[in-house]
Amino acid sequence: MSNVAIVSGEIPPPRHDTFLAAVRKGYFATPGAAAVTSVCLALIALAVWTVFRWAVLDAVWSSGGPDMCQQATGACWAVIAARWRLIFFGLYPYDEQWRSALACAAILATVVVSCFPFSWSAKRLPLVWIAGYGVFYGLMRGGFLGLPTVLETQWGGLSLTLFVFSTVVVTGMPIAVCLALLRRSRLPVIARTVAVLIDGIRSLPLVAILFTAAIIIPYALPHFLVGDKLYRVIAGFSLFFAVYQAEIIRGGMQALPAGQEEAAHALGLNYWQTMSRIVLPQAFRHALPPTINQVVITFMETSLIVIIGFFEVMASGNAAFSTAEWSATYVEVYVFVAAIYFAFTFTLSRYGAYLERRLNVARH
Amino acid sequence: MSTQSGEIAVDVKSLAKFYGAHQVLFDVSLSVAAGEKIVICGPSGSGKSTFIRCLNKLEDHQAGTIRMLGTELNEDLANINEIRRDVGMVFQHFNLFPHLTVLENCVLAPMLVRRQDRKAAEEQAMLYLERVKIPQKAGSYPGELSGGQQQRVAIARALCMRPEIMLFDEPTSALDPEMISEVLDVMIELAQDGMTMLCVTHEMGFARKVADRVVFMDKGRIVEEAAPSDFFDNPRHERSKLFLSQILGH
Repeated sequence: MSNVAIVSGEIPPPRHDTFLAAVRKGYFATPGAAAVTSVCLALIALAVWTVFRWAVLDAVWSSGGPDMCQQATGACWAVIAARWRLIFFGLYPYDEQWRSALACAAILATVVVSCFPFSWSAKRLPLVWIAGYGVFYGLMRGGFLGLPTVLETQWGGLSLTLFVFSTVVVTGMPIAVCLALLRRSRLPVIARTVAVLIDGIRSLPLVAILFTAAIIIPYALPHFLVGDKLYRVIAGFSLFFAVYQAEIIRGGMQALPAGQEEAAHALGLNYWQTMSRIVLPQAFRHALPPTINQVVITFMETSLIVIIGFFEVMASGNAAFSTAEWSATYVEVYVFVAAIYFAFTFTLSRYGAYLERRLNVARH
Repeated sequence: MSTQSGEIAVDVKSLAKFYGAHQVLFDVSLSVAAGEKIVICGPSGSGKSTFIRCLNKLEDHQAGTIRMLGTELNEDLANINEIRRDVGMVFQHFNLFPHLTVLENCVLAPMLVRRQDRKAAEEQAMLYLERVKIPQKAGSYPGELSGGQQQRVAIARALCMRPEIMLFDEPTSALDPEMISEVLDVMIELAQDGMTMLCVTHEMGFARKVADRVVFMDKGRIVEEAAPSDFFDNPRHERSKLFLSQILGH
């Protein structure tokens, strides 16, 4: 064998270090490095142990009441057991909360279904969303089949958060595509007007837009156009999402070589065919990482609607510990709410990573 | 729309083209009969690519007239898409759609523009992919192919629209040397089948072999227009002689 290797000029491939050898080389190479590594390990171990003791060992679990919590040194998870319905459903009438839970599941199912590639068609996707929203609205609002009507002002908790978030993204995305296309218009008046609109809205803080939608619009519009405060706030939020997303999509379009559009035109494709089949699909691929970023930020920002008086999941969390008996348990409630946010945003980013892998297979 | 041999396929009269205030084409006139093969050559910056891109209105012209298959190119959008259906184009950088497979690249326009159903479009696409000798790559993405293979797919894609005229804009300039001949072979076969072709290219061997006429451009004007044997053996203009000595000299 060695003769063959010498003749053909081949040498054996370099061997990788074993795990232990790699650790020794990387973290314990000199006495100084060993010292730094040991100190860091000790600090990490201490932190993990402290959190573990607080959250698990010394914690009071579901059976305990507020009195037990006051004596304990650990976390008081009893507050979650006692108040979780408030966190998830807000001010929604207690006896009807099963409707809110089902509605929540309907929106989640809609999001999950539309995340799978087989629903990505111009026919299926709108159908899925119309069905999903139909179920959500029917369950939440009620007023038929003996279901008591529950007004939008009483909606709250996780269902409201998911409803606002998904509506903002689902209505904001088409607006973003339109704005991005208009900003590339060959007619300078249209392109500049849209550019000013985008830059104008981007220069306003989201809170100001939400306030305007909730409080100022009713004075400016005739009564029949005003609609419920919730939908005005969602419309303002969608517009805010759309201007940012429009710039992301435009960036994706600019990454395409000019030859792509030329080739489509040379084949006789018209403007819409060129945009929908050639430019936008590729632009979205280029724009995928910042798009996922924007969607995650939007999920977090839904907590801002609390300032207009909506009890989304964050505000419901605040309410959960605002009684005298549970007032000391704000850390536990915040940890719980943070875990809910984490579950959603982490899933979103993993989905983004899956999409990138999938689309890269098709691009090479 | 179909053209008989001998009919005028391309008729350009006194074409002028500006980029802003900068004029790039001066009084270009050229008439091409159906079935004719024209090779357009010239130094870089001579306007040859701009000229050929005017013929399917990827570039607007400012003066003169262009008649393609009897229809004048004007500002009317419906008319330009009608012309583009019948005029295929092959680009220097292939411009395949990277998010679509080879087969999808080939059936897209026939389905959207010619309203063919998928089955018929796919059968036709496979026919042309076989003609460019690459049917086994139908399911691959363009990024998985070599440059020569991509350019052959680009030719098949254009042919799937069953064009009357094919425009080639430096189809081999972006290829590695060993891939040039596989593309030229396909183009030669196409020429032998009687396709009306206008090729911007520096492949002088190809020009000698298939061209009915060679058009030499310099500084935005047609300097010389001759049969290949005349052009290569007895160029009349100093500029043509210099150009030929530079590209054939080594």
